[in-house]
Amino acid sequence: MRRQVPLVLCFFFGVTIILTRFSPHPFSQSFYEEVNSWALIIFPFAFVLATVTLIRSHVTRIRRRSEHWQYSFIVFAGLIAMVVIGVPFGPQHPVFEWLFNNIQVPMDATMFSLLAFFIASAAYRAFRARTFEATLLLVTAIIVMIGNVPIGDLIWSETSSVKQWILNNPNLSARRGIILGVSLGVISQSIRIILGIERSYLGGGD
Amino acid sequence: MSKTIQCVVVCLVLCVSLAFSQGLSPPSNVTAMDTPNDDGSSVTIKWDAAPEDSGISGYQILRRIAGGGLEEIGEMLPAGATSYVDATIEKGNAYAYIVRAVSDAEATVDSNETAPAKGTGEWFHTGKIPLFIAMLLFGAVIVWNIYYARSGKEVFVRRIPGLEAVDEAIGRATEMGRSILYSLGLGRVDEVPTIASMTILGQVARRTADYETPLRVPCRDPIVMNVVREVVRTAYLDEGRPDVYNEENVFFVTESQFAYAAGVDGIMIREKPAAIFLQGQFFAESLILAETGNSIGAIQIAGTDSEHQLPFFIAACDYTLIGEELYAASAYLSREPMLLGSLRGQDWGKVLIFITMILGVVLELSGVNWITTLLQRVN
Repeated sequence: MRRQVPLVLCFFFGVTIILTRFSPHPFSQSFYEEVNSWALIIFPFAFVLATVTLIRSHVTRIRRRSEHWQYSFIVFAGLIAMVVIGVPFGPQHPVFEWLFNNIQVPMDATMFSLLAFFIASAAYRAFRARTFEATLLLVTAIIVMIGNVPIGDLIWSETSSVKQWILNNPNLSARRGIILGVSLGVISQSIRIILGIERSYLGGGD
Repeated sequence: MSKTIQCVVVCLVLCVSLAFSQGLSPPSNVTAMDTPNDDGSSVTIKWDAAPEDSGISGYQILRRIAGGGLEEIGEMLPAGATSYVDATIEKGNAYAYIVRAVSDAEATVDSNETAPAKGTGEWFHTGKIPLFIAMLLFGAVIVWNIYYARSGKEVFVRRIPGLEAVDEAIGRATEMGRSILYSLGLGRVDEVPTIASMTILGQVARRTADYETPLRVPCRDPIVMNVVREVVRTAYLDEGRPDVYNEENVFFVTESQFAYAAGVDGIMIREKPAAIFLQGQFFAESLILAETGNSIGAIQIAGTDSEHQLPFFIAACDYTLIGEELYAASAYLSREPMLLGSLRGQDWGKVLIFITMILGVVLELSGVNWITTLLQRVN
């Protein structure tokens, strides 16, 4: 019974939501929007629970003096500061905005910037010409990289055209092949879930 | 009184003569009807195209609610327009329309008033019939294959190295006495890659329960975290090891994309898990996570359906589930006949699409383009 109820609900809502995509009638559209809005109702409760787990895990870290436990105090400081300012005064409050724009945004940008270095290290490993495929990848990458900078056309006037051909033909074909497989995979997975054949997401396979 | 009537008549005669002097003729065959395949919130007005030398520089649409006066709606339409969708109607009201032709010299001439039309919502979008048929066909193929596999017939599934390596990765972590880190990425609970990732997590959790290997799952979405807790807990219960399950190992990190990446990177650096699973929906943080995992020497198994992130995972991880392999994982790991049957159905779908593509190319090259037209219409 504990498994059957979610499976019946999943089948009912799965089939109904699919049908609403084929029906422009106001009733079916409002049903679709209504069901979607239920997710918004669930979210705040889940968010409270998630915040509790965050606090609990950092309290545990401090209590156990885990490695770098001192940083957990920064988590609490940030959490308390944003809640104390954000909840009573709203996210438009100048102090809240200042904290967001001068702390969170630069830190996000810093993490994003790291990507440049990670791309370099990953590319170094991927492009080592040890096999035929890796050599092909290396040559293709060099053409595409040079084709993306102005000096490429100065070296050879056709560099941009070759780069564009690589992106438009072999690259796009491979991408579309993956997208096709993914789309069929999504449909297949959805059918398995709706029919109750795929139950692993409920915790077990039985 | 008679003078006023005379003035009005003179004005009307002047207007009509001016219109005719500009060669302006009223728009013909004006019809107003409910816009097909919508929710009843619009009416479509159509009229015949005017000849090129008609002198018309644009059209203005006027509408009248039953018993009311005429009102102009929308902007002036260009001379080449032959239709207008009035999406500002109130449901339940009937509207009559007039199309007013306007010349360069601001002379105007009105069409006949259309019969009143109402917006009505349709229960079925007729433009989506081919899509509906394709969906039913593909669904039927999958269901047929599921029942084919259920009858006990063997289903061949090609080897997927990334999934073969799951046991190896868990075994390695167990031997080294280190934890396993499992990230579901940034996807929400209603996204299929996240659900696919949960199914893999369920299988991984069953094995970690057997080996008593700590399984750490940092989550980005609060709802995902709660569902994942249930998935892992049930997996441990099914394996008869509820004592090994630790709820605190499935935890919320943050909703922010790069803060999540920083948090998970921190866990990797501090705890040095022996095996890392990156399965689900990833964006720009994919390489940040995968390269950090690589730097600590963990065995990494990644999988995503985002074709933009796949090259990063392939470059930085030991094994990568490419696109659809992510969705095949549950069937592959559990070897359940019904799940394997659905994989076979999925392959049949690919064959059908492949045949359609070849047929479409051949027909298009032969000058027959009904497949292209049909697909464009569906699109």
